[in-house]
Amino acid sequence: MDYVIETSNLSKLYGDVQAVKDVSLQVKQGEIFGFLGLNGAGKTTTIRMLLGMIRPSEGNVKVLGQALGPGGRGPWAQVGHLVESPSAYPELTVKENLDIARRLYGLKNPKAVDDVMEKLSIASYSRRKAGTLSMGNLQRLGLARAMIHNPSLLILDEPANGLDPAGVVEIRELLEVLAKNGVTVFMSSHILTEVDRLATRIGIIHRGQMIEDLDTEKLNKFRERQLEIKVRDVAKAHSLLTRANYSATMNGDSILISDTHALETPDEIARLLVNADTPPTHLAIRQQNLEEHFMKLTGNTK
Amino acid sequence: MNAFSSALYTESLKAIRSKVPLLTTLGFLIVPLVGGLFMVILKDPEAAKSMGLISTKAQLAVGTADWPTFFNFLAQGVAVGGAIMFAIITTWVFGREFSDRTIKELLSLPTSREAIVGAKFTVISLWTLTLTLLSFAVCILVGDAVVIPGWSVELFHSAAIDIVGAGIMTIMLLPFVAFAASIGRGFMPAFGWTIFTVFIAQISVIMGWGGWLPWAIPALFSGAAGPKAEFLSPASYAILFLASGFGLFITFYWWRNADQTK
Repeated sequence: MDYVIETSNLSKLYGDVQAVKDVSLQVKQGEIFGFLGLNGAGKTTTIRMLLGMIRPSEGNVKVLGQALGPGGRGPWAQVGHLVESPSAYPELTVKENLDIARRLYGLKNPKAVDDVMEKLSIASYSRRKAGTLSMGNLQRLGLARAMIHNPSLLILDEPANGLDPAGVVEIRELLEVLAKNGVTVFMSSHILTEVDRLATRIGIIHRGQMIEDLDTEKLNKFRERQLEIKVRDVAKAHSLLTRANYSATMNGDSILISDTHALETPDEIARLLVNADTPPTHLAIRQQNLEEHFMKLTGNTK
Repeated sequence: MNAFSSALYTESLKAIRSKVPLLTTLGFLIVPLVGGLFMVILKDPEAAKSMGLISTKAQLAVGTADWPTFFNFLAQGVAVGGAIMFAIITTWVFGREFSDRTIKELLSLPTSREAIVGAKFTVISLWTLTLTLLSFAVCILVGDAVVIPGWSVELFHSAAIDIVGAGIMTIMLLPFVAFAASIGRGFMPAFGWTIFTVFIAQISVIMGWGGWLPWAIPALFSGAAGPKAEFLSPASYAILFLASGFGLFITFYWWRNADQTK
């Protein structure tokens, strides 16, 4: 199968410091791949290697089926990128900044600039010098620059950085629409809730190594709601609930049920347990949390 | 629209929209204007003293108030002043990409890094050559206004060769400044390199080795230490060309191969 991004044993060594080690990734077309990691985990180094800005010490990178060549050559006409904090030429206006991007991407039609300004809601700032923009608008300019050539792959480092809550929602919806139209998005972020809402796959990098690859199925499990029940006699309650056709599982000193019926009518479960003389001491709906999982994962490997 | 013309448009727009061309033009025009002031003073030192232009202790060793002296002053100004002013321009063109953190906007593009570096050097060459020609034109206007003797067509031709030649030779050494700004990822390493080369050029001339050091050759060509034939041989020009080529090579090589982490 051809992947949009494919790396094998990607490593980067700066002197004695191992920034990235043996990272193997496969990202399919139309996926929104969330790349998570603590500060200094190796996210930006990996992203720069994907973009040919840094040469790997070992391993190789293929982007859109093409191995990156010397001088950072690659299929860049089809790739849009935003690396770390957005930057622009401060003495140029928003429109001029985008116009030079248009030319450097080899686009002939000047309308591409107006179109992308509309898409990113910065048309009203078109004559404003980039040096006077707020952080949020500078981020929008960076995203506009990444999208001006309608790329089939977007590599975005912290795309929600500096955006206000409405801007975060707007960018999320824009990326979702792009992904539905077949655009692949590879995004790093430290805003876990944002990644959790948007990503169809998540990779967690810690101390330069990929320690988790959560595909859609695993992610859906994280997003699943469960009814958590605590009783004094767990075995008795579990047997009772199973006999009542609930798919109950024991989890330490509690019982978990994912059935929709149970989630909608927890009062029926409470009544059942009370009538059987095993009243619940705790009854709550809980959702597994990516943040908890991430902290546990990165904390455990310290 | 090919990659190079796109890169050239980009680099030209960035230069035009900044204040640096205006500031460097004003800075560089000081050379012919100061030369013109010296001509006024040398033409009639007593009048200059009575007007308060110079003090009674002034010692002007520029020469006499005539066109050969004025042209010679300008040629030296282009060689020595150009080594600093042209380096400032080069440092800005390359170093600003790192200080403004815009370098990453020039990478991972269909426009190659070679086209971008080539466009930067083209803009620098045109910019610095324009400053050289402008200072020459201002020199002629000022000399004409001051009314000094010694003008001839032959002198104009030889002065044009000396001044434009000194300017071009100074420009030929700018790739090293570009390399210092690139490898040092900012302005300061390039400024440091410029001060170092001005210093070693002086030392090499004092020690009699100036004709072998690329950074001393433009000043020697301008006549700063006396007639150029006394100091420069064909080997000096060959060294300058080789050094220039090497400077270009290492700058292109660095942009092509260095890890870009900023």
